[in-house]
Amino acid sequence: MITYSSVTKIYKKRPVVEDFSLSVTAPIFGFLGANGAGKTTIMKMTVGLLAPTSGTITINGIPSLDKASKQKIGFMPETPYFYERLTGMEFMKFCGELYGQHGNVFNSFAEGLLKKVGIYEARNYEIRTYSKGMRQRLGFAQALVNDPEYLFLDEPLDGLDPIGRRETKDVILSLKKEGKKIFLNTHILYDVEEMCDELGVVHRGHLLYSGPVKKFCDGKSLEERFIETVEEHEKERTSKLNHHA
Amino acid sequence: MHNIFVIAKNTFKLEIREKILYAIIGFGILYIFLMLFLSDLVLKELPMVKSFCLLGIYLFNAVVALFLGTTSFYKDVERKIVYFILAKPVSRAQFIIGKFLGLCFVLLFASAILGAAYIGIILYLGGGFDVLGILAIAMQFLEMALFLAFAIFVTTFSSSLLSIIYTSVVFFAGHIVSSLLTASKAIGLEGMRLWIIQALYYILPNLEKFNIRDMAIHQVAAPFTSFFFALCYALVYIVFLLSAAIFIFQKKEL
Repeated sequence: MITYSSVTKIYKKRPVVEDFSLSVTAPIFGFLGANGAGKTTIMKMTVGLLAPTSGTITINGIPSLDKASKQKIGFMPETPYFYERLTGMEFMKFCGELYGQHGNVFNSFAEGLLKKVGIYEARNYEIRTYSKGMRQRLGFAQALVNDPEYLFLDEPLDGLDPIGRRETKDVILSLKKEGKKIFLNTHILYDVEEMCDELGVVHRGHLLYSGPVKKFCDGKSLEERFIETVEEHEKERTSKLNHHA
Repeated sequence: MHNIFVIAKNTFKLEIREKILYAIIGFGILYIFLMLFLSDLVLKELPMVKSFCLLGIYLFNAVVALFLGTTSFYKDVERKIVYFILAKPVSRAQFIIGKFLGLCFVLLFASAILGAAYIGIILYLGGGFDVLGILAIAMQFLEMALFLAFAIFVTTFSSSLLSIIYTSVVFFAGHIVSSLLTASKAIGLEGMRLWIIQALYYILPNLEKFNIRDMAIHQVAAPFTSFFFALCYALVYIVFLLSAAIFIFQKKEL
């Protein structure tokens, strides 16, 4: 279980995430929010790239900044950048070695992952020759090198063509069947509706809703409900600001 | 320790694939071979040839160190490649130490190639196997490792271009600061101006401690204590610079 307890993150004196509390147990949990809502900051704190200004984040009860917690997770950043002069397979080996995995058994496992994401044929090409979609797939594959219990994907379907999107979604759903917990950030409503069991709506660093997708929609379309929720929050915020003024 | 080694190995693998590195080393080798023609001009006077060769190796290695130190770590952070690495069980300290060691191996690789070309030329000119020349190159390597640590330290808080400027200034200042202090005392400088020069002398690395080129050229063996002292000086300075770099990097919001 991933638990956020009163998490606040302040960047250059500006709160980006404020008093954020949540417990995630769903097999696929999607964070939905507009650009700049704080989704990526929350994910970066969860995978231990950033420390919260206050509050705690734990994964299975272990603080997210702890090395033991990082052993259990896989992370794919938004618009991944790589070492351009390495081949796809060399990058996978490098990532595996950081978990102490190497040798023929690991190489076969890494090749299997590259097959799974559809870039096996390009495994011996330098990454600088990869298209955006291939990079996205490699980013996905490297997140699986340690066979993680939790997978964090930041905009995993960005830059993929329709076939790539379908294939990636299939991989995500097959990982769910394997029992992995998947946590994804997206601003594409359709992806949330199609894949996620639960969602969290984030706006201006605040959690506006968390729970089952169907319950959130309540008979309306996800787009309609999302806009309604965000607008309600904006109205409340404006009236509070006016009241203070 | 394992992850430091993995990052060092990967850094070495990446940097030795950089074409610019081979361009610098290639020009270094060309420069050393041009000394064959110079040797004819100076009537095959070996000290002159050695002097130009060792200075050339020093300057080309300095360019390699400046290039590696100000770009490698900076690119990883700016291009967010660190996201992949630091989300795995790797600490920021391990990342910096691994990068530094990997870059040191690249420097060693460049020094070894240029050193081999130097030994080849001296052997060809009948100067025998120049052990003191090798020691001078080893001391230069120590200086470059310190230079590299300084460049990494600077890139933790400034851009690549500014790092080149800061590192170059410190490189030159590190060579003149001891002479400046000696000259200031000789001309009787006092007060605030002397205090500033003394402060610079203690703050900036004294890179002249690694310069034994003149001794090597004239085949004067430097005492063992001077090597030992230079090694300790470099290690202490490198540890200090990398600790400062780690401290800043740990505070950095990625």
